[in-house]
Amino acid sequence: MQHTRHTPESEDHGIDLAPMLDFTINLLIFFIITTSFIKEAGITVFKPNAITAENRDSGNLLIAVRENGEIWMDRRPVEARELRALIERLHIERPDDTVVIIADKASRAGVVAKVMDEVRMGGIKEVAIAADPGAGG
Amino acid sequence: MGMRRRNEQAHESSHGIDLAPMLDFVINLLIFFIITAVFLKEFGLNVNRPTSFEQNKNDDKKGIQIQVLNNGEIWIDGRAVDVRAVRANVERMSAIDPDTGVLLLANEQAPTGTVVEVVDQVHLGGIYNITFTTSN
Repeated sequence: MQHTRHTPESEDHGIDLAPMLDFTINLLIFFIITTSFIKEAGITVFKPNAITAENRDSGNLLIAVRENGEIWMDRRPVEARELRALIERLHIERPDDTVVIIADKASRAGVVAKVMDEVRMGGIKEVAIAADPGAGG
Repeated sequence: MGMRRRNEQAHESSHGIDLAPMLDFVINLLIFFIITAVFLKEFGLNVNRPTSFEQNKNDDKKGIQIQVLNNGEIWIDGRAVDVRAVRANVERMSAIDPDTGVLLLANEQAPTGTVVEVVDQVHLGGIYNITFTTSN
């Protein structure tokens, strides 16, 4: 009697999957929420160092300015002229987005200022310049 | 016959639906999102950017003006200073007038690295109200 009660259970399901499923779905929801809103610049640049740099975890639109003046956004190079329209569109989609400009150490301040202006004209007022914390100066 | 019916009942009460295919699907989704996940920790500095209206206002109010030339030289009050001297200068001036702001006037050709260093030093000097403008 004991034997017959035991066998159907063990060949049907070895373990109860329900708690694992709960856990997995929670993880899934976490990753869906945290990942999908970040727009990467798509290239690596040498960021300047600054001791007083603050963590900008809300900054999720990254615009890179390269040494040669190229502007990269969302994994492709863009012109300074089209930046405003791009930002306007993204700002309508998600008004809470903020911009971080990742400028190369050797890039020109004029290009960075131009990018800041275009972003502000596109409707996003909160713009920061990226810097590596730590050894500054 | 009677035993088989009892087994089916036990099966139905323990699991309404079979969760295994759903779990497979969910785990696939999870792996996809983990792989595409980007964990960004971006550190940044905030600077103000003047509109034309604010620029006029700043001209009236005498703040500290720091110039960065196209070759990376830093000028405060008509003399060239080292980047390490910016902090001392800012500290002195903010001691005289604690509400003062800094006007950072960079040449368009000035390297961004120097501009950010100056912003950092001004922050260390105790002033967070920095307005960043460029000139050509």
